[in-house]
Amino acid sequence: MARLGELERKVMELLWSSPGEPLTVREVAVELPHHAYTTVLTVLDRLARKGMVERTKDGRAHRYSATAPRDVYTAELMREALRGAPDSHAVLVKFAETVTASEAEVLRSALGGLLEPPTEKKPGSPKTAG
Amino acid sequence: MGVAIVLALLAAVLLGPAGALLDRLQWIERVPKTGVLLWQALGLAGALSAIGAGLAVGVVRYHAGFFPGVSELAHDILRGRILTGLGVPEAVGLTLAVDAAIVLVSVMTVTTIRVVRTRARHRHLLDLVALDSRYGHGTVTLEDARATAYYIPGLRPRIVVSTGAVQILNDDEVAAVLAHERGHAQERHGLVLLPLSAAGEVLRWVPYMRRAPKAVASLLEFAADDYAARHASRRLLASALIRMATALAPPPCAFGVAPALVPRRVERLLHTVNRSRHLATLGCGLAGLLVALPIVIALAA
Repeated sequence: MARLGELERKVMELLWSSPGEPLTVREVAVELPHHAYTTVLTVLDRLARKGMVERTKDGRAHRYSATAPRDVYTAELMREALRGAPDSHAVLVKFAETVTASEAEVLRSALGGLLEPPTEKKPGSPKTAG
Repeated sequence: MGVAIVLALLAAVLLGPAGALLDRLQWIERVPKTGVLLWQALGLAGALSAIGAGLAVGVVRYHAGFFPGVSELAHDILRGRILTGLGVPEAVGLTLAVDAAIVLVSVMTVTTIRVVRTRARHRHLLDLVALDSRYGHGTVTLEDARATAYYIPGLRPRIVVSTGAVQILNDDEVAAVLAHERGHAQERHGLVLLPLSAAGEVLRWVPYMRRAPKAVASLLEFAADDYAARHASRRLLASALIRMATALAPPPCAFGVAPALVPRRVERLLHTVNRSRHLATLGCGLAGLLVALPIVIALAA
């Protein structure tokens, strides 16, 4: 399962790196020498079912292209990570919520104090009186 | 009937004002994991009391005390004789109890499924889109100028940092952030949050449910900070927190927004006293007492 995920990723990377130029299964498979043609076909179909990949008919062959460029998906993930949806707390746990402007001011001044190098950090440096 | 009233009163106190009391206990921030245990114990004790009160009404007719009565009720249910000899108040009470249980369980199930699906979809997309990270297995980088870092709980958890975050933090601060997220993963915080937010979905009117998810989420952040403090520097985690919390434009002002957790976390990282074994013992003892209370009352009946 994990290896299938890795292969999906590689296939998506190939499609993303040739925008505007849909690839045939064979063209994708050539770039993935350790994987059988049928495996690549399966992965492309899976990705098409998930809506990540578009299939167009070109003569007797099918050509595949990414539905959207990579940064569109990145933006979607960031939107999910940043917004405060009702469930978002259970879905993902953020490192730090963004604070209000007044809280930010207080925190920034605290940061100044924090950045004063603590004396125990660098044994070689001259000790400041304190 | 006496035991039903006592248990109902106990449930009302535990699921009502007791939460406000627990929210005000400052010392549990020093032992956040014990604090989480206390909140869980409070909820469990409240639920046991409420269920016990309902059952106590149902078993009055056996005149046999609480637990013997419950066992006779179970026998009757198994023999399909539940409705024989049931008075109107008992029948209404029983129906309400069963309905409430069905609603509670199904809404919790639906919410859980929804959350797990959203997580899975997010994780799947991440695995396709995110850059391979130099930070090790299960940690990925999202290419975006906005600074963020988060953790997706689940069987296959992921830790995510954006390139924007890596840009505003130095390497040691990134390490501190990752240590914090690993703390969430190691201590399985997702498993604590999920049932609470799922129950909160249906039981919004219960004061306990309005307080517990937020309080527990805060305590879990403290716990992850403590974990990170054992593997990285407190100062660096604090400075990373400040940089991350102030990196993005502040949210539009809204009335009634609780003060942010970040200032408290920074304060705690810089000035906290070491975790106290006595406090942890006290908290665990208190949690045990809470859960024992409804059981002892039912036994004494």
